Amino acid sequence: MEQGSRRRVENERAYVLHTWPYSETSLLVEIFSRGYGRLPLLAKGVRRPRSSLRGLLMAFQPLSLGWSGRGEVRTLNRCEWVGGLPLLKGDALLCGFYCNELLMRLLPREDPHEALFDHYEATLAQLQHAEDLERVLRAFERTLLKELGYGLTLDRDAETGGPIDPEAFYDYEPDRGPVPSRGEGRLRLRGRTLLAIANEDYSDPGTLQQYKQLMRLLINHRLDQQPLHSRNVYRELQQL
Amino acid sequence: MSRTNNSLDELIEALRCLPGVGPKSAQRMAYHLLQYDQAGAHRLALALDRALQRIRRCAKCNTFTEEEVCALCTSPKRDPSLLCVVETPADQAVMEQTLAYQGLYFVLMGRLSPLDGIGPKEIGLDALQRRVSDGIVKEVILATNFTNEGEATAHYIHEMLQGRGLKITRIARGVPVGGELEYVDLGTLAQAFYERREA
Ligand SMILES: [Zn+2]
Repeated sequence: MEQGSRRRVENERAYVLHTWPYSETSLLVEIFSRGYGRLPLLAKGVRRPRSSLRGLLMAFQPLSLGWSGRGEVRTLNRCEWVGGLPLLKGDALLCGFYCNELLMRLLPREDPHEALFDHYEATLAQLQHAEDLERVLRAFERTLLKELGYGLTLDRDAETGGPIDPEAFYDYEPDRGPVPSRGEGRLRLRGRTLLAIANEDYSDPGTLQQYKQLMRLLINHRLDQQPLHSRNVYRELQQL
Repeated sequence: MSRTNNSLDELIEALRCLPGVGPKSAQRMAYHLLQYDQAGAHRLALALDRALQRIRRCAKCNTFTEEEVCALCTSPKRDPSLLCVVETPADQAVMEQTLAYQGLYFVLMGRLSPLDGIGPKEIGLDALQRRVSDGIVKEVILATNFTNEGEATAHYIHEMLQGRGLKITRIARGVPVGGELEYVDLGTLAQAFYERREA
């Protein structure tokens, strides 16, 4: 891309991932945009009581943004509400925070991922009505890993390259995939379960449970085993 | 910790703990106090010291007070069956200015913020649980902000307090008083539509 064209961006579809107060009146806003990926913007003066953008720069609201500047932190110039999505509530809201934290922690800055953006937007819409939030989360985690270049291997043995035997047991190695189990891996899965996950067949209730453990293993591996705040807070809230 | 070699550096470093104060403004404040307003500086030091020694949290509502229980919580003019939950003392102050509310408060001193690791322990939800169990509170009014964090806070307090025979309400949101639809911001108008009620 030409350097000059990076200075000013207009009408870019984006979501706020998180915000931090910056000085007395400004806000530092981490956004996920469709064409430019994740990046920080400085929103000057928006914490003033009568700022028209005060209530707008909020997570989970579809926005159209404009910014300019060349440093690491650009300056927000325009923000418009695009709409069409009611705000998240309850457990779905916590799931939204979790997705945002995953993007903040795993997606490198200024690395555009249009397909991931579209999937994120669809995820927010699904969370509004989903009966099974866990399934929506698994699909988001899977797309995120795939877009980052860590797609799941589920249908072939990573050691032999051969097909998965439904009756055999496999250890899932985060950097390789399923290998015949020697009973020493962190996560032992049945071949049948791997194939069910590959085909998104969750008719066996145990499959989703194992799928969750698998995704947790892979995400923790990508996070170098650093804990996710939103996951901990969610657990504490369930214990209330 | 950075080692400070004299009391001027120490003062500048100390002033930086104030929100929004960077190294430059801290330096400006320090020079101002030392050069032009030593009396003011003295007063500030005394007031800070005194406040730190005397101010604590109200045993009932969790806000700042010099007593065991604050004046509002002990006032006979307030209705003790109503308890309004707010995020900050500033939110409580603005609720008071409305003159619309005659009950008592609980001040969380924060809100749930999952991305920052601020969970139920950090905002003292266990203290709130004890507070509403006094047998006198009948209605809990959730007046946290209409941000995602404020909504999450209200939702989980609701979940926590359900099934105890308490009435739990949430303050309403929507078009401002005197607001003409044409000029209301779109997000507010859309949410007012989603949350429309029977006329
Ligand atoms: Zn009190």
